[in-house]
Order: sequence, then structure tokens, then C-alpha cells
Amino acid sequence: MARESFDKEIQFLRMLVLTSGAYNRQQFAERLGISVHTFDKTIRRLKEIAAATQQQTSEEQSKEFADAVRYSYYDSADPRLLFLFRAKSLKDSESQRLALLLAAMHEKPQTALELLDLCCSGPTADAALFPDEKTIRSDLKYLEEVGVVKREPGARPYRYRIQNDLVRGLNDDELLDLLHFVDVMANTQVPSVQGYLLRDQLKRSVRRQTEANADEDSAAAGLSFLYKYHYYSRILDEAHLFTLLAAIRNRSKVTFVYFSPKTEQSYASKNTNPLFERDSGGKPQTALPIKVIYDHQYGRWYMLANNSREGIRKYRLEGMTQLAEGESVPEELFVEKRQELEQRIKHSWLIDTGGAVKVRARFFNPGDQSPNFVRERVLLQGQWGEIVEEEADSFIYEIIVNGTTEIRPWLRSFGSSCEVLAPRQLREEMIAEWKEIAAYYESV
Amino acid sequence: MNPFEKIFNYQVISRLENSGTFMVTSHERSWLKLMLRHPAAAAAFSAETLTKLHGILGEEQSLELELEEHFVEKARSLEKQVYHPLLRSLSRAIIGGSGLTLSYKIKNDRVHERQLGVPYKMEYSMVKREWYLLWYNLRHRSFMRTKLANISLAEPADLAPERIKQAIAFIRGQLDKRKEYAVIEVMPAYNRELSRILYAFSCFDKTVDYDEDNGVYKVNLGYLSDESEYVLSKIRFLGKRVRVAESDYLRKRMLESSGKALARYGVLLPDQDEQASS
Repeated sequence: MARESFDKEIQFLRMLVLTSGAYNRQQFAERLGISVHTFDKTIRRLKEIAAATQQQTSEEQSKEFADAVRYSYYDSADPRLLFLFRAKSLKDSESQRLALLLAAMHEKPQTALELLDLCCSGPTADAALFPDEKTIRSDLKYLEEVGVVKREPGARPYRYRIQNDLVRGLNDDELLDLLHFVDVMANTQVPSVQGYLLRDQLKRSVRRQTEANADEDSAAAGLSFLYKYHYYSRILDEAHLFTLLAAIRNRSKVTFVYFSPKTEQSYASKNTNPLFERDSGGKPQTALPIKVIYDHQYGRWYMLANNSREGIRKYRLEGMTQLAEGESVPEELFVEKRQELEQRIKHSWLIDTGGAVKVRARFFNPGDQSPNFVRERVLLQGQWGEIVEEEADSFIYEIIVNGTTEIRPWLRSFGSSCEVLAPRQLREEMIAEWKEIAAYYESV
Repeated sequence: MNPFEKIFNYQVISRLENSGTFMVTSHERSWLKLMLRHPAAAAAFSAETLTKLHGILGEEQSLELELEEHFVEKARSLEKQVYHPLLRSLSRAIIGGSGLTLSYKIKNDRVHERQLGVPYKMEYSMVKREWYLLWYNLRHRSFMRTKLANISLAEPADLAPERIKQAIAFIRGQLDKRKEYAVIEVMPAYNRELSRILYAFSCFDKTVDYDEDNGVYKVNLGYLSDESEYVLSKIRFLGKRVRVAESDYLRKRMLESSGKALARYGVLLPDQDEQASS
């Protein structure tokens, strides 16, 4: 059976988050390459999952969906898009059975037959379930594989218990430390989806312990941290991350349908009926993935790959759909291509593999204010560049980068605190651009 | 590792809601194992807890190798600080609803000694990579934002629950009052770069309007007044792709900084010319 793909949901949520409210149903569906009917169906399903996973107030639930996933800084530090990763579809009976088994193994270690008995005749038994022994055994195998349960040492019949050493081994105070640590790391490091999932479970455990004395919302959750200027939609692309990492590990090519972010459409339904087949707008691609890159400047993900015909190719993860692992290549070939790529991106501000140039810029210190925030920011964000000269009111920063396109926005963001000295062409481009910007506002 | 395991399914989770079952997979544990290698771990746990955690996660595979080899982060700020030693005690004061006595350094290295206050939340700036405490200063009756690095003393202080409630309500009111709004227009010539532009604004509270007839996108931003500098740096970052359509303050500042930037290059705008010659 083909693995369930979440391409539609990912593209859907991304568009919703980025364009927040810009499009009506028709426009939205058109851009995703789906029918309005599919649009309605998708939004219904996502709403249902969001409502079941996020403990929202009823007031929040009644808000429009776009509003519900909107970034709202001081309201909540919960990752609003995490529910995507809870979207795997499951038969009702299966979810019921798994929950029953887990709750039983949470009580005490159980054998497969004891669990079977519980499903068929226990107080919570449901005639609709009645699994056979084989089903229970395959459930246990699955749960053990994903590490949710653990087989107890000892002879047959084997007993299984829930793998909850993390909460069992720690006291309340330590558990709170763990929740805080996981919260901080999930919010400040990438990748973070697994961290957010763990945070979710820890929060539930801590909440149960603090329920008695909690009245404030933050206290109830055991959390008091906020994170400012967060690209919260970054977690959508983590959906592809592990498929790509596995392919890289296996030295395998990947196949996918690519929608360049510059095209209007970002998804197309995969029609199974050939009568309705049409040009989907995306391009089928095959490439050998070598590196996955996260760009902190925009909060976007890239795959850097090698393609036998065109050499190094760069893809944005947001444009990749129908991703699948393909045939593998010889180790030597992979190593050779990786070395080549590593050389080429050594001086990429982001991912530019063009020719290297030395950029030289003068930064001006902010007058008499005591903290020199210009210098601080250059040191913090200037990557491998260096301050080569310092004067009383300014300093000179130098960096060797591939092309000037990617560093230019950063230099420009300093406004009049930055003057590009070299290369000449970049200096002239800056002047031209500032003139255009000034023209936008001259009528103030 | 498949982030869409069926065990993460929302129905399973909600069915387990009241059973107290703690369910995590090896995915989360190997993520945690990787994170524990970060220097922040030493500040987040006591040595004893850290040993326990390493013991619990002993057999787990760490995500580490895979990420180190195949994953690169670009344009990342230097990580000055991820965990501050005060986080543990301050977060407990916040959760426990207690007051605080604080000594802290302000500009010009002056120190405010033993100020009584109510902590609200702690805030991490992803840009500056530093922690701040948001709190209410009882004597000055003001909402404060203080770098944890500048706090030299923080002790729990007994305060009546009523006073704490009032202080928190005051802070919430202040946060509302300080909200500013601006409208940023995407220049239609750059609509092809819409995705990049919207990504750049995705860290703000925003909505977008689309005028289909003219093909014009407008981003309505909501932000706190003390964040305007950051909003401005984003707008300058995007350059001529966007224009501030509404917000007199941001428009004035953009005119000012483009004029000053040009002056750095020896180019004077027409009205600067007049000022210079008059």
C-alpha cells in the first residue's frame, strides 16, 4: 500500500498561514490546483483534527479556521501547526483498540492474551472491536517498534509495559525542568517537530500534577516562556526532512513533483482517473539529495542535490510533492558529489553556488547610546565575516561570499548604518535601490 | 523516522486524554538525546537529574550523526545564550504566582537595588539570542522588560495574591495598549516573489488582503510599539519589493533612513539639497 501522503494538507496549511485570509475559496482552490469541493473537504478535516488536538476554549473554536492557526504572539506559545502531524488517518476501531491497549499497559505489564481478553471481555470491551490474537500481536509489534512499549525481561509468555521511563524515573520537580528544557529547545533549535510532540505529552503529565493549585492559564500549562520572531510555519517542511535524511543515508535518489515557488500553483491533485488527467503544472524530478539546509533568514528549507545532467540543483522543500525514495547510487559517486557540493557552498550566505567575491562594508556606530547594537548585530549575524578595521564612529566588515544577491538584504536591513564599499557594482546597486525606496515615500 | 506515525493520530491521543498514559516514541527520545548534548542542558538540570536522563536514554539512538552530516543551518545568529541560570527559579516563581525582589543593571551601568515586582513571563529573542523577564515594578508602577543577563539578584517575595492578579492584569492591558498596526503593500512587479515576501512577514501577527482586479497584495501587520525597529529592519531587508502603505511613523522613518543612507554614498535627495543650500 502506498504511504499516505500529506502533500495536500501541507500545501493547504502553508498557503493558509502565509496568505492569511487573502483568498476566497475559489481563489484558494485554484492556486492549489484542487476543486472547491476538495477545498471544503480538506478544511473540514483539518478543522476536526485541530479541534480535537488543541485544547481550545469554545470562543477560540468558533473563530474562523484561518484565525485559529494565525500567529498570535502573546496569546499562546503553542505550536499551532503541530496538529498536521496528528493527521495520519486511522480507522475508528483501530484508534480505539490502540488507546485501550496503551491504557492497559499503562496500568500494568500485560501479555498478548491478557490484552486480547481485555478487548473482548473487559469492562471497556466493545463488540465492534473484538480483534483476533494476530491483530493484537501485530499491534504489539508495531508499538514496540516505535518504542512506545517495551518487552519485560523474562520467559514466555512475554509481558509488555508502557515505555514511560522518562516520567517514571523523574520526580515532579525534575519533570518540570524537563518540560521547560524541551520547550526551550523545540522553540530555538531545528528540527523541532519531535520536540513539540514530546512537549505535548510532558505538558499533559505536568498538568495532571499541578491541576490542584493552578488557576492562571500559563501556570496550568507549567510554562512561562515566549519566543519572539519565530518562523512558526517552519515545522510544515519538517514533514519531508526525515524522508530526505533517510535517502541521503541510503545514498538514494529521490523522485518528486516540483512546484517552483514562483509558479502560481503549488499543488495539483493526483488524478487516478485518466479521463480527468491534465497538465498539473508541477514538474517530475529525479535527483540525488546531498544536503538539507535550513535558512534562518526566511525560515525556509532547501534540498541541495545532484542531477546527472545539470550538476548541482537546489530545491525548496515547500515546492516538493509526491516525494519518494528511488534507486541508490555507488558510495564513491555520492562521496565525490558531496565533496564537490561542500566546496561550492562553503561561502554561500544561504545557498548561492556562484563565484566568490569579497564584500567590504562600513558600519556606523549609533552615536552616544551605550550598547553598540550595530556592532552587536554584525557580530551575531555576520556569519564568517570579520571586522577588519575599527574607528571611533565606525568599523569595517569584510566577508567572502558566493555572489552578492543573498547578503544584500541583510546589508540593506541596517539602513543608513551600513555603507557598502566594495564591490563597486554592489555599491552602485545599493545607491540605485535606496533612490527607488526614497521615491516611495517622498510624498509623505 | 516517519513524523506521521499512526501512533501520533489525534484520535488515539484524545482517547488517552484522561487515562494519564504517557506515550512517547523513540523519535522523541532520540530528539531529546540529541538536545541533551547541547551546552544548554547543563544549565537546565541539576547534575543529578542530568545523570538520570542520560541513564534513561542510554539505549536510545541519537539523531545526532545523521543531522551533523547531512543537515546545515545557514544565516543563523551566533547562539549567545539558550538557557540562562535564572530560568529555573524565575519560571517557578511565575508558575507559583509569587512576587520577586530584584536587583538589576540599567543603561549606563546604574544598578536598581532590591525592587519589589511581579514576574509575568520570560521572553526569548530569536534575533538577539537573549532572555528577558517581563515584569511589573511595584514602586514605579510600570511594566518592565529586563535582560536576564542584567539581573544580579532575584529572590521570591511574599505578595498578596490580589496584588499579583492586579499586576498581571495591568501588564495585559499594557500589551494591548501598545499594539500598533501598519499596512505593507507588495509592489505588484514583485508578485513573483510573493512567497519569499510572505515568509519574511510570517513571524508577525498578520492578515493579508488581495485585490484581484489590480493584483495587489497588502499585508496588515500588528505589532507592539517597541517592536517597530524590528519591523523597520524587515522592511529595509525586503527593499523595493514592499512599500509601507499605512503607518505615518514607519513611512517617515523609511524616508529618513533612505535619505540618510543615500547621504552616506554622497547622494542628496532633492529636499535635502534645498536644506543644504539654504
